[in-house]
Amino acid sequence: MERVRLRDADAFEALYDGYHRLVYGVAMRVLADPGAAEDVTQAVFLKVWSSPALFQGGSFGAWIARVARNRAVDLARSRSSHGESQLDETLVVEEDLEDTALANIDGERVRKALARLPVEQREPIELGFFGGATQDQIARQTGLPLGTVKTRIRTGLRRLRNALEDALTV
Amino acid sequence: MTGHEERFDSVAAYALGALPPAEAAAIKEHLQTCALCREEYAYLRPAVTAVAYSAEACTDAGSGAVAVSPLLKSRIMKRVRSEAASREAARRIWPAYALAAACVAIAIVTGLTDLSLNRQNDAQRQTIADLAAPDARRHFFAGGEVVTHGGRIYIAMRNLPALPAGRVFQAWTLARGATRVAPSSTFAPGSGGVAVVALPEAATNIAAVAVSVEPYGGSSQPTTKPIAVVRI
Repeated sequence: MERVRLRDADAFEALYDGYHRLVYGVAMRVLADPGAAEDVTQAVFLKVWSSPALFQGGSFGAWIARVARNRAVDLARSRSSHGESQLDETLVVEEDLEDTALANIDGERVRKALARLPVEQREPIELGFFGGATQDQIARQTGLPLGTVKTRIRTGLRRLRNALEDALTV
Repeated sequence: MTGHEERFDSVAAYALGALPPAEAAAIKEHLQTCALCREEYAYLRPAVTAVAYSAEACTDAGSGAVAVSPLLKSRIMKRVRSEAASREAARRIWPAYALAAACVAIAIVTGLTDLSLNRQNDAQRQTIADLAAPDARRHFFAGGEVVTHGGRIYIAMRNLPALPAGRVFQAWTLARGATRVAPSSTFAPGSGGVAVVALPEAATNIAAVAVSVEPYGGSSQPTTKPIAVVRI
């Protein structure tokens, strides 16, 4: 990332090779539209290239995954409210706490860990992350009390974290 | 339920990104001061990252899973490489016309003639370091560029026409959120129609820079159509 900050195109290419599947995969899961997912992926990576200072440290994978998710959710929301796609230039970067890095992690392994969660915990987590729903909206959609939704999200995330404990590096 | 308990209860949803903006802002603020909630957040965040990784696409289109088109990479890299090449070209051009001119031009344009030689040299060194910095931001326009680095802001122009008698070039800055431009430095080109101007304003506050031809001494608002307008 240091070399990307110095506008090294080869370093940027290596970054793209390492993280494009994550960014595209998240965008695709949120938007279910290959063209829109490509637009989000392109916007996210070009933003990293033009404004590398937006990433302020911690785990790059965690950061770019969140940026991709927020960008895709914003696009999904603007589509549903305006009936058209709209990608503004702002990037939501809310993370200011360093994230623990996930080492030796791959999509397949996490998919298995997520699949082992009870559906009542997995569902609100996926609705919140990929569906961009707030906990109140999840409560309304599932017909559950808000307190139950909160507990299920928390319990599910804790279980997932425990299941992946050996992949964590501090 | 106390304020803390209520917030602790929402930390998981915050980590997931499942709170409305106002509630998220409240939790974010709370995390700054509450070690317990911060610990909970730090514990849960990797799980959220793991959720993101569960959607990771694969490179093998034949596997039936979500695959990324290789055309996307060539599209992105084409833009990145072309921009990297023009930056490189700009860096190579700089010493040729601007850096050499900077030493002469700065004294002319910023009225440093009353300063000691040492302070002039310091200003020149700073300018040259800023202009040549690899991480300087360059905003090109026909005939020059605006360069920002370390909060400082420069206009560099080449091929400037000779000015009629009693006229100068004047820089204008538009502060963020402002609706009218504010007058900045006046200057005349050095030899070969080159000018490098260190503006006194802090780059962080400036949304745009313009240049127009004005009567000697400068104007309080532009009186001629700007020859350059650059958004930063």
